[in-house]
Amino acid sequence: MIDSPSLRVEHVSKRFGEFTAVDDLSFEVRPGRVFGFLGPNGAGKTTTIRMIVGITAPDSGTVELFGQHMSAEMQDRIGYLPEERGLYKKMKIVDQLRYFAALKNVSGAEADKRIDFWLDRMKLSEWKSKKTTDLSKGMQQKIQFISTVLHDPDLLILDEPFSGLDPVNVEFMIEVLAEFKTKEKTIMFSTHQMETAERLCNDILLINKSKKVIGGSLREVKESYGTNLIALRMTGGESVLDDKSIVTKAIVHADEIEVHLTDGADPQLLLRRLVESGSTISKFEEIEPSLNDIFIEKVSA
Amino acid sequence: MRKFLAVVKHEYKKIVLKWAFLIGTLLLPLIASLFAVVPAIIFSLKGEPTRIAIVDASGKIAPRIERNLTAEKIAAKAEKSARDSMSNISLTQQDQIKRGSEQMGSFFVFSNFDPAGRSLDDIRGDLMGKISQGVLDGYLIVPENYGSPDAIFEFRSRKAGDFVSGGSFRDAVNDAVRSQRLADANISEKTLRELSQNVNFDEKGLDEKGAERDSDGVMAASFVIGLMIYITLAIYGQAIMAAVVEEKETRIAEILFSSARPFTLMLGKLVGVGLAGLTQLGIWIGSVLVILAVIASQTGMAELLPKMPVITPLMVVFFFVFFILGYFIYASIFALIGSIVTTVQEGGQFAFPPIMLMLIGFYFSFVVIRDPNSSLSFWVSIAPFLAPITMPVRILAEMPPFWQIALSVLVNGAAIAGLVWLAARVYRTGMLMYGKRATIPEVWKWIRAS
Repeated sequence: MIDSPSLRVEHVSKRFGEFTAVDDLSFEVRPGRVFGFLGPNGAGKTTTIRMIVGITAPDSGTVELFGQHMSAEMQDRIGYLPEERGLYKKMKIVDQLRYFAALKNVSGAEADKRIDFWLDRMKLSEWKSKKTTDLSKGMQQKIQFISTVLHDPDLLILDEPFSGLDPVNVEFMIEVLAEFKTKEKTIMFSTHQMETAERLCNDILLINKSKKVIGGSLREVKESYGTNLIALRMTGGESVLDDKSIVTKAIVHADEIEVHLTDGADPQLLLRRLVESGSTISKFEEIEPSLNDIFIEKVSA
Repeated sequence: MRKFLAVVKHEYKKIVLKWAFLIGTLLLPLIASLFAVVPAIIFSLKGEPTRIAIVDASGKIAPRIERNLTAEKIAAKAEKSARDSMSNISLTQQDQIKRGSEQMGSFFVFSNFDPAGRSLDDIRGDLMGKISQGVLDGYLIVPENYGSPDAIFEFRSRKAGDFVSGGSFRDAVNDAVRSQRLADANISEKTLRELSQNVNFDEKGLDEKGAERDSDGVMAASFVIGLMIYITLAIYGQAIMAAVVEEKETRIAEILFSSARPFTLMLGKLVGVGLAGLTQLGIWIGSVLVILAVIASQTGMAELLPKMPVITPLMVVFFFVFFILGYFIYASIFALIGSIVTTVQEGGQFAFPPIMLMLIGFYFSFVVIRDPNSSLSFWVSIAPFLAPITMPVRILAEMPPFWQIALSVLVNGAAIAGLVWLAARVYRTGMLMYGKRATIPEVWKWIRAS
């Protein structure tokens, strides 16, 4: 059962009056992998996540967790860090964490043990008895992360988990997430930061205007998108780039040329032609489109 | 169940472990006792004596006025009026009054002013001069025709605003003149007192079994009970609202909703805050009982206690039941308001309708105290929203038939079921709507959406 998906969303739709927030969305999330849920603001990410964690119910379609339908018990296996997160302002950190743990059915003694462990891990032990208002924003963010993992969830859903963290803490959080991944937990997170997504995700799903745009493993997505970009550094042979049957566009940057091949054109053909033309080539590299490029093209299309 | 209890515990601790709760709990009994002590303290503060010149050509009135204003006379008078206004008076209170009035007795220093046949205008000018020099505070001119009904007693004083000394001085003059008139008419003071003695009016209410009960005690106790329920409902209803708004404002609601069902969260919140309210009410009632016990152990006050209405354990159970009914009715309304608005301040504006309802209930409790058996009393003690305040008062004033209490519990229980259902639906949707206050049609849509 290793490969059976821990989360399966099938033909899910959600409407608010006239407005369709999520339209016939289907995808699967597998254990031991990081799933990036991407899309512009207002695409329907938060609505989808809310249906997964059981805050709202879909109008049609099904959400299955670990092979079962969504239920109150299932909620205890999910750790959810919402984008709009909050803490009780005038409450001690330890008391809040205890409360959130109890709401996930963790016994008091077990919760205390885990709170100490995580506070120590996040280097926040001395803040245990402080109030939220005494903490910096970054610290609050870490406390909120602790509250999502106190019940050792099998599925971690993080909405913009890195926003507001400094680079050092981003690295630290990525390290923590990597641990979850090795423990065969499932991690799903949404973000606008394509660089982070590209770095962390095994699988991605891009939605726009409440519909799925592309999805699959990061590799598949990039390959299906095709590689028709070449980074070129050379002297002589510029005339080859004028051949419209191979090259649609050549953009000259400071020290290299970005060559856009025509659809279906073989990069090797270009290389041969350049060599034949007597050009001296110091760099010839097929560039994969970045997730950012894909995102911008798909969303603005 | 564990989640529900976690919410209850969380809400309870959040209120009870706050300084505001401790202060509020201790402060109310403290303020109440201050109200009893402070007037006595102020009363006992000594002022400057008032120096008054009496111009009395007849020479008959002035000595009587002076005699009327000796310390003992004033004390006796104050005590009598206190007795008239209060149904009962304790030994310590008697002491206070006596002490206070003795001090007041020394407020007056009299000097006789010999008119020596001068004209009134001349005398006035002379006295005015003394007043402006600060040698004198005021003067009284006793007319020669003091016996006639249209005689005018001219009193001018720089302390005319001082109602304490002004009042007792006027009384003393009145008494003096009346005594003199009686003496002139050959009637002794004693005869007059016997003739004008008030009848002894023994007033007691009856309950349906014909047993006597004291209506004053019932009045006071009903008022206190009604007020206490009203205050507690208002405070804790608003505490619920604040708790709901905080979770909405800080966006904690989203985390909560991903952990437990909104209904569990809402009910847990209502119960937790309600228990905090009961704790406070329990402390208040407990301290009242302790104070009464202390009073009872003091011989001087013992006679006060039988005047208290009899409160049976059954009544206490009913009070408890109706407090809980009232709490759930108003708390769910406040929770509903909390999930619609975006800030506590905004919620404050919307708290007006439920507060108004409570006030109406509180005002109707006066109707109930006056006539617990009227049909109006019947209806207001059954009506939802009003009954939680009016029914306990009615039970105290006169125990209604059991079926009426049962009906009232039923009606209000149904109201709670409806309100909690309504509030939970609004809560579920409203808590995730950020940014702006919902309009009534929107709220209606949330309620209808499953």
